[in-house]
Amino acid sequence: MNQLKLSLAELNARERVQALLDEGTLHELLDPFQRMKSPHLEPQGIIPQNDDGVVIAQGEIDGKRTLVISIEGAFQGGGIGEVSGSKIAGALELAIKDNQEGHTIYPIILFDTGGVRLQEANYGLMSIAEIGSAIVELRDSVPVIGVIPGKVGCFGGMSITAGLCSKLIMTREGRLGLNGPEVIEQEAGLEEFDSTDRPLIWGTIGGEQRVATGFADMLADDDVEIIKEGIVSFMQPTEDEPRSAQVEKYLSLIKSVDPTAEWSPASAREIINQQGSGSPAFEPAPSTSKEEKQSRGRTWFQALTGDPHSLSEDVRSVLCADAKLGDETARFLSIVPDVHHGFPRVRHGEVGLLEGWSIARYVRESMEADQGGTPRPIVAIIDVPSQAYGHKEELFAIHQACAAAVNAYASARLNGHPVIALIVGNAISGAFLSHGFQANRILALDDVGVNVHAMSKQSAARVTRRTIEELEEATNKVPAMAYDINSFNSLGVLSSLISGIDADSPSQEEVEAVRKKLVETVENIREGGPDLKNRLTSENAVNGGRKASIKVRKKLAEQWK
Amino acid sequence: METLHFEYDAKEECHKRAHVGVVASGDLEVLLEPSSDQKASVTIRTGSDGFGDTWDKVLERFFASHPVAANIEINDFGATPGVVSIRLAQALEVSRNHEPA
Repeated sequence: MNQLKLSLAELNARERVQALLDEGTLHELLDPFQRMKSPHLEPQGIIPQNDDGVVIAQGEIDGKRTLVISIEGAFQGGGIGEVSGSKIAGALELAIKDNQEGHTIYPIILFDTGGVRLQEANYGLMSIAEIGSAIVELRDSVPVIGVIPGKVGCFGGMSITAGLCSKLIMTREGRLGLNGPEVIEQEAGLEEFDSTDRPLIWGTIGGEQRVATGFADMLADDDVEIIKEGIVSFMQPTEDEPRSAQVEKYLSLIKSVDPTAEWSPASAREIINQQGSGSPAFEPAPSTSKEEKQSRGRTWFQALTGDPHSLSEDVRSVLCADAKLGDETARFLSIVPDVHHGFPRVRHGEVGLLEGWSIARYVRESMEADQGGTPRPIVAIIDVPSQAYGHKEELFAIHQACAAAVNAYASARLNGHPVIALIVGNAISGAFLSHGFQANRILALDDVGVNVHAMSKQSAARVTRRTIEELEEATNKVPAMAYDINSFNSLGVLSSLISGIDADSPSQEEVEAVRKKLVETVENIREGGPDLKNRLTSENAVNGGRKASIKVRKKLAEQWK
Repeated sequence: METLHFEYDAKEECHKRAHVGVVASGDLEVLLEPSSDQKASVTIRTGSDGFGDTWDKVLERFFASHPVAANIEINDFGATPGVVSIRLAQALEVSRNHEPA
């Protein structure tokens, strides 16, 4: 008998789960009747939803024990807030435990999300960091399968999450990119990206292009049975390395991309599929210290390492060196402005394609070197204004470059490297997720120039259709929306806020004080575990900063089967 | 944003709780739970202020033809009266053991 095709994309999040799971096996955790809503929306006059836009269900697919996580794109654009994000992270954390104990459960994530929910800003970033960490840990025992059926697509921090998955299934309607077309147009102008040009959008970030260039694994018709078959086939054990760990392959590809050339979807396909042109597209201009733009990232890298030669000679926006920290050698990494950068959208110290893959390389290099020995501390110095907003960045999958950096830091941490993030300037959005947010501990200088957020104020105001004044008023009610470091500290994610330091030009004494703090933190990390649990057990987290995150995890554990 | 509350006489029992809809533009989320009181008790959270009378008329009409004793919670994102009636009918169907179409 001929069966009618059933579209997955046309279904809402809960119906998608019902359609994919074997009949009679569905067990939903934190269902709508438990009314685990976001506590942060109503104070801002926004109507909440009882499942906060995320459906978590255990069940079976083809008789195999499965965890399905489904994001509702129609509620707040599928944005990730504290409750929705903690539902995803908490469920994945429970799956880690089961899989480690030999009780296999296959995690499937149905992405339909614009990324961080800007009305909960830093809660979204924190959750996405925790989700990323869980995926990296899960992949050691089981493939993590992502599906992008389409409608919203998969953007922002959640595109980095998709980039961490073992396998990705997309439909032609699905889109995958770090920055949505409208955001790029807002940030970089119409010449950079015309967000009304639909063929350009789909040619750049659509499912067909992503599969044709190897940034997703299966192009599926929008049909439940076909997508289900794909999921089942990807449950098989495989020797394939996840994309986010294939650093040398992609780094050499990106280095051979000429950033001054015009790139079309077709020419991008060609160079990606022949794995680059084989030779670097540009030589960095000879370094003259006069031209090196001073930035806090550079100042602190030089101060803490004693200004040695950076190991990353051909990528001058990434500084990397091994230097003394206490009685041992630590690896220091910083991302800095390079006024001659080949990619014009990265010249102010943003995290772009080369930066993401290079960070991944230098973190992994220290992991390989320390195999069998004591894993060295890794210190990420954070002063990053944003990720790079650009057409070429999306065409060559900047989300995958960011995922590579996330993967490297998370793997280093899970393999026993004490990883510390030291925020000396801006720590914004996808840039911070990629460079620093996976650290065991996050330290920050107590300074007005130290800011943490999901999006620049101007863009956040436009995207949420408020004035900057209205946005600032909202931050009084929801500290997670504020930009200043003291508000961020109240969420419990910082392990230390260091006062009395001149962040722009620190004295020798001030540098020594910070160094001492780093040494103490390394000791502290070695005494604790490699996971990110300290962010939920800190005093500020317990006393309200992460109240809902903690409650969600507790309830999930009670309802887990 | 405002919160509204209405009650209507209702004698018919329903057996199962039901959840339908999404808080999406022009749509709403309905949670229906059986009640032992002989009334339909409706709480609405809506982003569109000032439509209390319209809600009352739409609900009055619905419960006149379906006097179901239940506690109903609605989260509304600008649904039209037509959409509200359809979602309520759908919730009732689910609670009477029919799966939604």
